[in-house]
Amino acid sequence: MHKIWIILKSEFWRRVRSKWFIIITLLAPLLLIAMIVVPGLIGFLASEGDDGTIAVIDDTGVLLPRLQAAADDAFTFVAADAPVDSVQNAVRRGDYSGLLILTSDVRQGEGEATYYSAEGGGLSLRPRLGGLVDRAVEQQRLLDAEAPPTFVEIVNTDIPLRMVKLTEEGEEADSTIALAIVGYIMGFFIYVTVLIYGAIVMQGVIEEKSSRVVEVMVSSVRPFQLLMGKVLGIGAMGLVQMAAWGFLIFGISAVAGPIIALFIDPTQLDLPADASSEAVVTAMDIGIPTIPFSLVVWFVLFFLGGYLLFSSLYAAIGSAVENPQEAQSLSVPLTLIVVVPILFITYVIESPGATLSVILSMVPFFSPILMVVRLAASEVPFWQVALSYLLLIGGFVGSIWVSGRIYRIGILMYGKKPSLKDLVRWFRYA
Amino acid sequence: MPLLSIEHVTKRYGNFVAVDSVSFDAQPGRILGLLGPNGAGKTSTIRMIAYITIPDEGQILFDGRPVGPWSQEQMGYLPEERGLYKKLRVGEQLRYLAELKGIPRADADARIRQWLDRFDATDWYNKKVEELSKGMQQKVQFIATILPEPRLVILDEPFSGLDPINSELLRDIILELKDAGRTILFASHRMEQVEQICDDICLISRGQILVKGSLREVKSGFGRDAVMLNFDGDSSFLDDLEAQELIRISNRTHHRAEMRLLNGTPARRVLDAALQHVDELYHFEVMEPPLSEIFVSVVSEQEKQRNAQAA
Repeated sequence: MHKIWIILKSEFWRRVRSKWFIIITLLAPLLLIAMIVVPGLIGFLASEGDDGTIAVIDDTGVLLPRLQAAADDAFTFVAADAPVDSVQNAVRRGDYSGLLILTSDVRQGEGEATYYSAEGGGLSLRPRLGGLVDRAVEQQRLLDAEAPPTFVEIVNTDIPLRMVKLTEEGEEADSTIALAIVGYIMGFFIYVTVLIYGAIVMQGVIEEKSSRVVEVMVSSVRPFQLLMGKVLGIGAMGLVQMAAWGFLIFGISAVAGPIIALFIDPTQLDLPADASSEAVVTAMDIGIPTIPFSLVVWFVLFFLGGYLLFSSLYAAIGSAVENPQEAQSLSVPLTLIVVVPILFITYVIESPGATLSVILSMVPFFSPILMVVRLAASEVPFWQVALSYLLLIGGFVGSIWVSGRIYRIGILMYGKKPSLKDLVRWFRYA
Repeated sequence: MPLLSIEHVTKRYGNFVAVDSVSFDAQPGRILGLLGPNGAGKTSTIRMIAYITIPDEGQILFDGRPVGPWSQEQMGYLPEERGLYKKLRVGEQLRYLAELKGIPRADADARIRQWLDRFDATDWYNKKVEELSKGMQQKVQFIATILPEPRLVILDEPFSGLDPINSELLRDIILELKDAGRTILFASHRMEQVEQICDDICLISRGQILVKGSLREVKSGFGRDAVMLNFDGDSSFLDDLEAQELIRISNRTHHRAEMRLLNGTPARRVLDAALQHVDELYHFEVMEPPLSEIFVSVVSEQEKQRNAQAA
């Protein structure tokens, strides 16, 4: 036990202090946040981007000033003082981004408004432009009908809508979709980290063998101790990396949210103009939803289980070969098993309680990903989680045992590249 | 009591018998040479002593107890195929390997400095192993082997790849270790090195022990049947003697020849022939055969028996 600890420490430190570890640990969360926030931000920016100058042929004679008054920064409305076809040509030439024709009966709430543009507008243009025209006509008609001020006020009512979900503990912001996304990210994250850390373990074993230092090592410790020390040391490195990522992501998003909110007009989000920046962040849905603590705990536990299960098998494969190229063909079957649950992630998120989802989330090779997804997307009965985890423990104890038997033979075998059959034969050696 | 006893040890790999019921002892404070051609079973035997592999039959006793993890801490092993962690710095590497042998970090550090000084390598402490030359790496690995002060030092071809100056240094240190009471198991196929430093030898071929005992006994057991000549002039008389199967020449240059006397040929016979033919004879000596000669004759005898059995 003491020797495993010495090996663990050495394997851990020599990796954690390397510059690659530090660079990747710091940069990965920035990339992840960029991947999540940037598309959202671009969406918001696009919706309030400059749509350019729109020429207006206003037969009513009263709507254009109202449009100009109501338009936000996005639109600039100008009167077109030329015949329709020459203005249309101007649009084609790009002098205007569009031509809006308001016939005279629009003022009575009849007829239609027509918008010509060279590019066909955009998905968000139609409701926004239509809304502006509606609002202008509405205001004009209220004036024409000499409506009392209270009535005008009633018509102009704009109540913000807050979404709240009722739970057994009380009420909380509705985050079902957000948690499903969190589940997806967690599942995918376990998939990626198990593959990467597994590859690091395999790489470490291959280096030890090809540099022949392994023979010195096993003259001091048992092969099993060497295997476990390496697997646990790299696992500890992985935990530190993930904890660092967790803190960084929460930290950055706590700071980034309010900063982004400063640039967003609350009224666009259907919020009161003086809404706090937290409210804006919540409404924009770019903040990280509150993740239940139990989910975090299970996530870490299932990550560890999955890591032990797969990395020990990767170590066994590494012990059989002398360079990473040779390892490739041997590790294909294993990598395929890691990939399987990814194919089912979407299904499990959509129907977390379906029989297939329940069964898949019990299988040790799949549970590290699929049980975490289920836990995030829905309430899972405790017995199911517990059973799944017991099976996973059985799974990694078994895989470590099998790997240990292959490893102790493999590390001393040089020469011919072994096949899977050879690995089975080594496993059977007394 | 011997420090190390190998008792009827057999190791098989599939159908291949790498070590075939081998028995020998290593006495404390002596240097035991394990000799044999490549593939004789030296490394297989050493791995079992170091508890890296386990015998299929027989047992290995260290200090009277079967070897195990406990005995690993009292042995230092320098494998024939050298290897260190390339990315680790020399100091950290040595400390790590020492720690695995049960040496506390603080003790290890003082010893590391001391040994690096001894090898004229004080400034390597913070260098990565991959920055060192092959020869330098080999010194580092030798330090790693002896740093924990093991009672049994196992050296598999320790001189390979070293220049003469470093070979000399290494030999001095090995002899110092012996004087300090350590037992050394020295595996090699380089006979002249074995002859220089070993007290006892154990000759192994095809997984079997052919000869064992103290170097002196083994050599005297083969009698004084080697002849060495230094001369000027015509050396064709040697070819005649060899053609009559009276001698076998083991080493020959223009002015010097070493040979074994065959079939009880008296040494005088060679001297007479030489005096008749050469212009000048500077040196004539009857002596014990060098170990390499013993080695060749013993191994070829084994081959003969094998062929006879096969036929």
